[in-house]
Amino acid sequence: MDPASPTPTGETGTSTDRPSAEVIVVGVQQASERKLARRENWRLIRRRPSFIIGVFIVLLWVVCAIFGSRLAPHDPLDFRAGVHLSPRADFPFGTDKTGRDVLSRVIAGARDVLKIAPAAAVLGVFFGVILGLLMGYIGKRLDLVLSRIVEAFIALPVLLLALLAIVTLGNSAWVVLGVVAALFTPIVARTVRAAVMAERDLDYVTSAKLRGESSSFIMFREILPNVTGPIVVELTVRIGYAVFTISTLSFLGAGPPPPSPDWGAQVSEGYNSIAAGIWWTTFFPAAAIASLVIAVNLIADSVQSVLEAS
Amino acid sequence: MRRFLLKRLISAIVTLWLLATIVFLIVNVLPGDVGRQILGPFATQESVAAYNERLGTDRPLWQQYLSSMRRLFTFDFGDSYATSSPVNDIIFPALGRSAKLAVLALIITIPISILAGVIAARRQDKFTDRAIVTTGLATSSIPEFVSAAVLMAIFCVHWKIGKVFANPPEGTSLIGQFPYLIMPALAMAITYFGYLARMTRSGVITAQNADYARTATMKGMSTSQVMRRHVLRNALAPTITVISVQIGYLMGGIIGVEKVFNYSGLGSTMIMAVGSKDIPVLQGAVLLVGVIYMVSTLLADLLIAYLNPRVRLERA
Repeated sequence: MDPASPTPTGETGTSTDRPSAEVIVVGVQQASERKLARRENWRLIRRRPSFIIGVFIVLLWVVCAIFGSRLAPHDPLDFRAGVHLSPRADFPFGTDKTGRDVLSRVIAGARDVLKIAPAAAVLGVFFGVILGLLMGYIGKRLDLVLSRIVEAFIALPVLLLALLAIVTLGNSAWVVLGVVAALFTPIVARTVRAAVMAERDLDYVTSAKLRGESSSFIMFREILPNVTGPIVVELTVRIGYAVFTISTLSFLGAGPPPPSPDWGAQVSEGYNSIAAGIWWTTFFPAAAIASLVIAVNLIADSVQSVLEAS
Repeated sequence: MRRFLLKRLISAIVTLWLLATIVFLIVNVLPGDVGRQILGPFATQESVAAYNERLGTDRPLWQQYLSSMRRLFTFDFGDSYATSSPVNDIIFPALGRSAKLAVLALIITIPISILAGVIAARRQDKFTDRAIVTTGLATSSIPEFVSAAVLMAIFCVHWKIGKVFANPPEGTSLIGQFPYLIMPALAMAITYFGYLARMTRSGVITAQNADYARTATMKGMSTSQVMRRHVLRNALAPTITVISVQIGYLMGGIIGVEKVFNYSGLGSTMIMAVGSKDIPVLQGAVLLVGVIYMVSTLLADLLIAYLNPRVRLERA
């Protein structure tokens, strides 16, 4: 069975007796009511102050990522300024130990994070959704086995397994992306599985079964649209965790390799100078990481509280 | 009770075995020649082959797997690639130092978060609640190494409270170690505060809206009596579960904190192992963290079952 192709096999329902026809009608009604509810939720989310603040900060970093080179006052790799200059008018965030402008490096660093973290989250959610649908809908022995494996993955901090995998694979941006996505997959799968199990016995699913739809059609065309709530929440939460994990990995020296001006790597270059009173090389990239993860989590939290209230 | 314990123990062992298999697969099935990785690109093919033979990495995969599983259940991870001393002699002392830091972090986090969670629940949807929840959300999303670096800059350097290097000199008394450990522990507490406070809050909200709490209030019990006798007791279970899960996760966040404060615990050991591609040490350390997670969640489940007879009867 190919889970990626949701082509319905039994186009026309063969069952014509009344009770099942009734179930079909109820199922269709249920589906359209839920569509309306989703639209209403989105309106509620947009009005929450924490959502607006979160989006504003994220957009600020997106602008930095896209127009970084034009916004930055200096070249992030230019080391001709003095070494360890404290913050001043022409270098508002000071310069680092090789004389590079910290502000320009913080602006340039946005690009790396915003390229890898959302990609890793999207990929992890994509595979997690497929796995979760299979576990929740097909169930039985497949679910029993996969659930145990998922549990084993969850028993360890993502960071530790990521470190282990990156040591064996070597650290390139692609490896970091793939490893983080792979480690997010079981976590997402567990959430999606729970949501799917709650839907599995509802009327619209029964109605689709009576129409003679294939399992893959029911999973991807019937159930999937109805579990978008938890999936959207999971996606926003995962983006936050991806930023968290990837910046920690690069701080630990297992992130994308230098000389990319990654925020975590900048903190790692600077933190040894804090004791000497040189705080700015560490503080500004650290604050950048904090602002981005907080913003993403504010968005995730608004989405979650609206969807959970409904 | 005995059946519940047995079931829970077997499931913990199965999970641990799967975990060890995952770790084995990551280390062995992913491409990469161990000998080549360690000796570097300039070593001759013969010396790489000899090295692989000495490490046993040239054997068929299933043999390596069996010996790896034997190592797990005898808790003997072989010798370090980098220093040739037994892995256990490296990871256990390091774990001891990390445990001190983790315990201090928990001593700070648990009472503050439970208190904050209870206050937030009592003032549900009012300003205090919003403030606690939002602060918790913000602080729990910041990576530990970020709060560690910021705390160090503010407290250790600017205000000269706490030490920049967290390793206490040899022979420092347990109380004498406090100024060394407080800042790194606080950095971890900042990250773990939010989640625990939120879980306590929702536990208390569920319990204070429950029928038994309403009955107790209507019987004429005072609010503080209802809280103590009924609400907190029932809200405790989810809180204990969260704490036990966090004990395992604490060992992930500790890596960054130990690096910032140059503390030689399990985290620093792992970073060093990453640097020298010392896979046995890394594997041993990762599995050790897995065992800690298993033991702490197991203990939490037993504690909950002990506190609440409904649980042990239902699940048995």
